[in-house]
Formats: sequence, C-alpha cells, structure tokens
Amino acid sequence: MIARTVGFEWDAFGSSFAPLLEGAVMTVVLTVVVMLLSVPIGVGLALLRLSRHKVVRAIATGWVEVWRATPVLLQLFWVFYVLPALTGITLSPFLVAIVAFTGHVSAFLSETFRAGIASIRPQQRQAALSLGMTPAQSFIVVVGPQAWWRILPAFANTWVSLFKDTALVSTIAVADISYIGLQLRQETFMTLEVLTAMALMYLALGYPQAKLADWLERRFGVKE
Amino acid sequence: MTDSLDTRKMAMSGAEPLVLLDGISHAYPNGKVSLTELSFAVHPGEVVCLLGPSGSGKSTAIRCVNMLEPVTAGRLVFEGIDVTAKDVNQVEVRKRVGMVFQNFELFPHMSVLKNVAIGPIVSLKRPKAEAYDLARELLAKVGLSDKGDVLPSQLSGGQQQRVAIARALAMQPDVMLFDEPTSALDPEMVGEVLAVMRKLAEEGMTMVVVTHEMRFARNVADWVVVMEDGRLVEEGTPERIFEQPRMERTRAFFGKLEEQDGVLPTG
Ligand SMILES: Nc1ncnc2c1ncn2[C@@H]1O[C@H](COP(=O)(O)OP(=O)(O)OP(=O)(O)O)[C@@H](O)[C@H]1O
Ligand SMILES: [Mg+2]
Repeated sequence: MIARTVGFEWDAFGSSFAPLLEGAVMTVVLTVVVMLLSVPIGVGLALLRLSRHKVVRAIATGWVEVWRATPVLLQLFWVFYVLPALTGITLSPFLVAIVAFTGHVSAFLSETFRAGIASIRPQQRQAALSLGMTPAQSFIVVVGPQAWWRILPAFANTWVSLFKDTALVSTIAVADISYIGLQLRQETFMTLEVLTAMALMYLALGYPQAKLADWLERRFGVKE
Repeated sequence: MTDSLDTRKMAMSGAEPLVLLDGISHAYPNGKVSLTELSFAVHPGEVVCLLGPSGSGKSTAIRCVNMLEPVTAGRLVFEGIDVTAKDVNQVEVRKRVGMVFQNFELFPHMSVLKNVAIGPIVSLKRPKAEAYDLARELLAKVGLSDKGDVLPSQLSGGQQQRVAIARALAMQPDVMLFDEPTSALDPEMVGEVLAVMRKLAEEGMTMVVVTHEMRFARNVADWVVVMEDGRLVEEGTPERIFEQPRMERTRAFFGKLEEQDGVLPTG
C-alpha cells in the first residue's frame, strides 16, 4: 500500500456523503432516543438522591457514581460482552448502545438535575404546599419547571457531548456516521476525502446544536 | 385576669376556636427546641397577632398551624379536629389554611394572574376559566387589576406581597396566616400591604399575624400573644397588653422596640 500524500479526489469526497448521510440518521436517532430515555430516568435518580431515606439515597448515589466514574467506551463493551455472559440476555448492538449511553447520560443528568432542584429555595415548595398542593404537584408545577430553566444550559452541553460521543458505537458495529465512514475508508483507501467528509458531517449537525447551547447559556445561564 | 380591658369578644360569645394550639412543642431536626408547650386559641373572625423578639418561635408556631412543621407534643386542633392525629390528611388541612410569607414566594415562572389562579386549578381541580375569573376579581380587590399579565419580578415588593395575599385568598381559606408580611418591604410600601390586611380583617377574615408593626397590632388585632424563647409570655387584648403589660419580659420587649425606632403606639 502506498500512502497517498498529495491530491484530493473530489469525486471520492463527493460520493462519501450519500452513505454518510445514512449514518447521520443513525447518529441522530441514537442521540434523540438516549436523551428521551435519560431525561425521565435522570429526574427519577435525582429525586431518589434527594430522598429522605438514607438507604434509597445511598443506592441511588452509588449507581450514579459508578456510571460517572467509568469511561463510556468501557460501559459500551461491558454491556456488549459482560452483560450477556452474566445474565444470558443478548442485545442487538443498537440496543447495547442505547442501554450503555442511557446509563451514562442519565447518571450525568441526574447530577445536573439534583443540583438544579436543590438550588430552588425550599420556601417555594412550602408556598406550593400551603396552597394545598400535594408534594408531587408541588414538584411538577412549581419546583420542577424552575429547576428546568436553571439547568437548561448544562443540559444543552450534555446533549452536544452525547451527540459527539455516540461516535464510539462504531466500535460495536452500529452503523452511525463514524462506523460508515471508517468502513468506507477501509474499502476505498480514500482516507483524506472520507475523513474530511465525516468531519463536515459532524460539523454540519453539531455546530447548530453547539450554537443553540451557547445561546441558552447566555439567555438562562447567569441568572441570580 | 378579669378587668374590663381583658375581655375577649369571641371567647365571651362562646364560639368554638377555629384554631387551637394546645400545649404544642416543636424541635428542629438539629435538636434546637423552638416551641415549648405553647397554647393559644384563634376564634372565627378574630385577628390574633403574635409578637416577640427574633428567635422566639413565632414563625415556627404558625408553620405548625399549616403543618409545614410537625409538632412533637401537644394537640393542634383545627375546626374541631385534632390534626396531629396520624390519619389526618395534611393536604386537606392546608387547603383550608392560607399562608403569606415574609419574602412573598410568588412563583417567578408564572404570570401574576396565573400565580393567583394556580391553587384552585391544581389543588381544587377548578375549571381554568372559573379560576382565572376569581383571580381577576382578587387582583382587583388588592388593587392590581392591570398587573395580571406581567411576571412577579416586574412588580415592587409591596405589589408582590399583595399578589401573594390574593393567591392565598383564591383558595377561599378559613384562616389566613401571615409571617411578617411587611418585614421585607421598603418602608414606603408597608402601608399598602397593611391596608389590604386591614380590609380583610374588616370583612371578618380570621387571621393570625406575626408582625413587628405595633400600630397594626394595636389597632387591628382582637387578641395579642407575646412569645419569648418558644413560650407564651402573656396574652390579652391589645389595649391591655400595650397599656398594662403584666410581664417584665413583655415590657422589656416593648422597651427594646421603642429604643430601636419608637414604634410603640400609645392610645
Ligand atoms: N430550620 C431550622 N433549623 C434549626 N433551627 C431553626 C430553624 N429555623 C428556626 N430555628 C430556630 O428556632 C427558633 C425559633 O425560630 P423562629 O424562626 O420560629 O423564630 P421567630 O420568632 O420567627 O424569629 P424572627 O422574628 O427572627 O423571624 C430560633 O432559635 C431559630 O434559630
Ligand atoms: Mg420568623
């Protein structure tokens, strides 16, 4: 194999986009599904970590710490290889990706949510209770929404990180942008062209998200 | 005990108390004892003012009435029912008890109108249109008809506290609790809030008011309870308490207030 050092094959570059676009659909689907699952799970974990019961709090905290302290790549492999060996449950690579990333992202989000909820003055909850609301109603109507606006910037940043981190699923053969791109490179040897096309793909999708996160940060980040 | 100054209208008429604190005690989770065997009664239509130095347990006492704090001993009787019993639904009791906080505690993410309507909508499952109509009525009552669409943060402190009063009234409570409702306000805004409270009192609302506004206590209260160190020091009509305080500690408390800003009303 002779490494090509000069020349940029525009045709190869251009024809990379069609397959990469299919990968992009997978990347977006992964990101969205993981987020849709992680938000409610993250809220649940946050509430468990704010529970009055010591044991509940300890278990929830332990769970979150494990997911936060280990690399996603390991988590992905663990669910892919170890979980089936331990439980006999074999998941498709796509489901492995969903489970591992949801475990990871919901743990991170729970920390964000917990801090957000704790930042709302307890008197706000008391005001809601004194209007005859149940504790659940107080959270849904008064505390939750206020916490939500406060954590929105951090949430947006987690979203952008997740979008980029999903590239790791290529290691377990889920056909996202990275997997398709790396396959394409192996088949065509058009390393320069394919990797550049991949970069543009991530940039086109990721840049607006990053900008949106910045805007949210400016709009809601520095209150109080 | 029985001089003419000390007769209590409501008690004389033989009405059952609406709220009765019967020897209640309370301690915070850190072990700090905040109330010791505190007893006093609030009759329907009465305005009871709680006075006492900082840290004497006034806030804790009214938070117990609202069951935001659990009493550790004694009975708390609301409308004839001992609400310290295990099977009592706290949420149902709170629906009947309005509360106004020192720092207003309006919900910052809702319009002023929604702040007032939200209690009936969520807690009482009232139709939205009905709740908003009531909310508009109550905003008019506290003189803020034109502020329904703005956020609470766009209002002055005095306006916010009037909205908070309207919000509590929207639940059509049987008793209203006020925890130093004017203490967080600039002096020029105190009057507008007290005026609303005075109007409520005239309409016959039962009220328990923690306040340092001695003129209000003197002129509006039917009954005054003086507390110190989690205990009741003395209670009586405002005339009697202000003109012939029996306890040295009451006199000392008034003396300190006078030193501070000469607020003690006479006659
Ligand atoms: N959350 C808490 N945890 C522990 N101790 C508390 C708490 N809140 C109040 N206390 C203590 O309980 C006692 C009674 O407090 P409380 O707030 O009821 O007094 P207060 O009469 O309302 O005083 P103030 O006029 O300053 O509002 C005080 O000694 C106070 O320090
Ligand atoms: Mg207080």
